[in-house]
Amino acid sequence: MTTSTSARVESASAGSAPVLAARTRGLRKTYGSTVAVDRVDLDLPEGAVMGMLGPNGSGKTTTIRMLLGLVKPTEGTVELLGRALPDGAADSLPHVGALVEGPGFHPFLSGRENLRRNAAFEPLLATGSIKQAVEDALERVGLAQAAHRRYRGYSLGMKQRLGLAAALLVPRRLIVLDEPTNGLDPAGTREVRKVIGDLHAAGSTVLVSSHLLSEIEATCTHVAVLHRGTVVAQGELAELLQSDSTALQVTTSDVDTALNVLRAARISARPSEEGVRVELIGTTAPAVFQALVQAGVEIHEAVRQRTGLEELFARLTEAEESEHLSTVDTIEGAR
Amino acid sequence: MTTAVATRAPLARQLRSELRWILRRPRTVIGLGLLCVVPILAGVGLWFAVDNTQGPAGPGLAAIIAGNGLVLPIFTMFLSLPLLLPLVGAIWAADGLAGEANSGTLRGLMVAPVGRIRLLGVKAFGIAVMSLFAVTLMALVGAITGVALFGMDGMLTVSGTTLPVGAALGRIALTIVLVTFQVWAVAAVALAISACTEHPLVVMAATMAGIIVFAVLGAFSSLDWLQPYLITSAWDGLADVMRDPMPVDGLWNSTALAACYLVIGLSLAAIRLVTKDG
Repeated sequence: MTTSTSARVESASAGSAPVLAARTRGLRKTYGSTVAVDRVDLDLPEGAVMGMLGPNGSGKTTTIRMLLGLVKPTEGTVELLGRALPDGAADSLPHVGALVEGPGFHPFLSGRENLRRNAAFEPLLATGSIKQAVEDALERVGLAQAAHRRYRGYSLGMKQRLGLAAALLVPRRLIVLDEPTNGLDPAGTREVRKVIGDLHAAGSTVLVSSHLLSEIEATCTHVAVLHRGTVVAQGELAELLQSDSTALQVTTSDVDTALNVLRAARISARPSEEGVRVELIGTTAPAVFQALVQAGVEIHEAVRQRTGLEELFARLTEAEESEHLSTVDTIEGAR
Repeated sequence: MTTAVATRAPLARQLRSELRWILRRPRTVIGLGLLCVVPILAGVGLWFAVDNTQGPAGPGLAAIIAGNGLVLPIFTMFLSLPLLLPLVGAIWAADGLAGEANSGTLRGLMVAPVGRIRLLGVKAFGIAVMSLFAVTLMALVGAITGVALFGMDGMLTVSGTTLPVGAALGRIALTIVLVTFQVWAVAAVALAISACTEHPLVVMAATMAGIIVFAVLGAFSSLDWLQPYLITSAWDGLADVMRDPMPVDGLWNSTALAACYLVIGLSLAAIRLVTKDG
């Protein structure tokens, strides 16, 4: 992968706001009366490794397909590498590598021939460097030995690796991996993590979806949790995992003053039963108390709410099984 | 912020890759092989028929085959046009979009990205070249078989005149072009169906069913008003290439009708592909 990029889009001009590799606003997709994705506002900062976490059927793949311009949103907008889709697709997609909905290849061709075919359609790959790019990608995912074998005979893990190789044919600014460790053995999983780590180190942005929290925890800097087609939490992984309690239930009779004070202090809070609910994202419990007490708000009681990512995700998955929507409070709390 | 970025891979590279992909498919090779067998079988069958009766045998073109080997490629092409060649075109059309969608490779092309109209162009090109190749191959094998079995003393037309070898080869070339164009028309419609489904089999079944239905409709005299619109009915008129002098009206009509099918098929395919979820 040396001379393959004849020219690359420069990173968006350095502004004060964090540069986003992908940004969606009010994304919604319906199939008939089924709402697959609703009100998804996703911010994927450049250089981040974002894990998209959600149980099966939570809208991860649909969101990814809309991000890549494969599916047209029913409502909402997508910006990919600073370009609005679908018009900007031709400019941004060459810089995006993707493995969506499992690897797709021709069974009658060998792994190498399959990649050559993919490479032939890559805009950023010069014709002369296709051969080398294919070999490099195969090497990188550990398929060099099996490259001459027909795809038909590949194991699930090998197919997955080839899909990853296709995404790595060109140095990318953004790599989107939908459940990349599906069907991989522990060694393969480690290799994928290593590839993601390398991409991150090289400055690429990575969006990786998974239904396994452990997977996300191991590789990601950012996380977005999807549930029933909506993003219920997103932010830096460290922040979301920081403690097992990210919200504080403050019981007070002076709700209005408390809300004003907290909002003035840029602490997110909203009214709840008998008081306010304070998000402990970017702040601490003592800071909240101090702000409230200084303003003369009477605090009757303060209780930490257990809404850590793990807790949240566990409840989401449990709710999926028991079909109870008792988690709504928890979901809201994590916002 | 953008510095002259290539947003599309070179077209020639895409077309080459497409042809390579079609040719690497085992069913393509087998299909082309079987198409080569058709003129040989037809030639051998006619040879026995001519030999046994010591004279002209069979109807139409077959009646003039004795000592007239260059008729065989034309005869074979007309023999294959009603079913075999449309089937071959439909298979390529089916694999082109429905097959790629089915194997999950279509979305790979879409995110490369290959623009959707460009993608249709690449697919249409592949099918067009392969159809031309298939018909030419068939004609070539037919010519060789015909000359080997029946000799080559120019070409006796159905009008009774004899064309010199050069003119005869010209007629064969013209037939290749006319027949190929008809296959393109069928394949364009098949491509439109292909853009609507993920199941290649549906494309082939629908195309073949359409052709059979059209042929049946063309057989009812009460539906005569429908004839000018049926592509299958126009195929009979192509036999005019074997007349001397050659009446061109029928040939033009059937070619113009095929052009309509081609344009409609490609348009529908484009409309569907642009809005399709990948």
